Amino acid sequence: MKGSAYTLIYAAVLGTVCATVLTFAASFTKPYKEANQKAEEAKNILLALKVPLPETPSSKEVVDAREKNVQEKQLGELTTYVYSPPEANGKVLATAMRFAGPGLWGPVKGFLALEPDMKTIRGMTIYEQEETPGLGGEIVAPWFREQFTGKSIVDSAGVPGIIISMGGEPAANKVDGISGATMTCDKVQAMLNEAIKRIVEEK
Amino acid sequence: MADNQMVCATCEPKGLCGGKGLVTFKEGAWANNPLAIQVLGICSALAVTNRLENSLVMGAALIFVCIGSNLIVSILRKHTPHRIRMVAEVAIIATFVILFDQFLRAFYWDMSKQLGPYVGLIITNCIVMGRAEAFALQNPPILSIVDGIANGVGYAVVLAIIGFFRELLGAGEILGHAVPGFTSWYTPNQLMILAPGAFFALGIVIGIFNAIKGPDPEENK
Repeated sequence: MKGSAYTLIYAAVLGTVCATVLTFAASFTKPYKEANQKAEEAKNILLALKVPLPETPSSKEVVDAREKNVQEKQLGELTTYVYSPPEANGKVLATAMRFAGPGLWGPVKGFLALEPDMKTIRGMTIYEQEETPGLGGEIVAPWFREQFTGKSIVDSAGVPGIIISMGGEPAANKVDGISGATMTCDKVQAMLNEAIKRIVEEK
Repeated sequence: MADNQMVCATCEPKGLCGGKGLVTFKEGAWANNPLAIQVLGICSALAVTNRLENSLVMGAALIFVCIGSNLIVSILRKHTPHRIRMVAEVAIIATFVILFDQFLRAFYWDMSKQLGPYVGLIITNCIVMGRAEAFALQNPPILSIVDGIANGVGYAVVLAIIGFFRELLGAGEILGHAVPGFTSWYTPNQLMILAPGAFFALGIVIGIFNAIKGPDPEENK
């Protein structure tokens, strides 16, 4: 009774049932996931630009604040997000741009915001990463990200680039790395420098 | 419980199915604790226990997957061709894991970000597959659910213990809240958050479990 034909049919039926269940689950959760992603992205733009936000903003507050305060602006091939609230009468308070690249385990994506001088970092956020929780995953931790604020994207000789490293002398363009996550730090450094290179070229 | 007794009266009076659901539960959660006694599934136990909250969610995920996969494997046990039973088990397990992952992504976005790839990696957790192979394939559905709960709880409790101490000693916090007065005399040791801290904590927990349980009587036979 349990011959090859039965085995094949069994496998096909089981596979189909599992796939159907998952397809339903995926389509059911899709709007929630998309809303989460959209709010996450908006929140990170606002955080990088240091737009004032309530303590624990709802998704709607975040999306509203982004629409009110932040405009997208094309700078050559680079899309920038300009913080120019209605009360500032067109004055630009900060400019953010996307950066992305491969991390150790998966893609890392985030925003880097610069002060109006376009040299000083205003903020840095990461909204997508799959690094090791507790190690590379610490790139999203406030202590790591806040180090970037006030740092320069050029070194003392004026060469663009930022350094993430545990050792070496403190410098205007250097932040501390994460112990146990050297690979992740190196990769984040590379993708930040890629973005910095682009903005310096487009400026 | 009466239901379980009835179901089990037909079983042979030996091994895991020697009696009632309570025996099965004790066996899974304590005497044969998957983490502390069998030392299975320690990859995720080492990786996600740096915070208590992560440990709790991971434990909940494993309980859910264990119950679901044990139930379905048990229901299908008489119809599954022997040759492809493992493929079938993995397909069932993967379905439940992905369901939980989707649920987290949709409704607990921040937690989903924290756990990263480890929820998906439950598919390869030896505990789930081990229970499906060792228990659900031989036992009726209700008893298999009990076994799934027992092993899931056994895993979750150990994870919570490790997560509690790692977060407390590593960050001076519990569930993300600073413990009042604790850091005034204790300096959080970041080693506990890092990988070596996980090994220390797990080793100590396994040691304590085995010390309380005493030597395995079967080992001296």
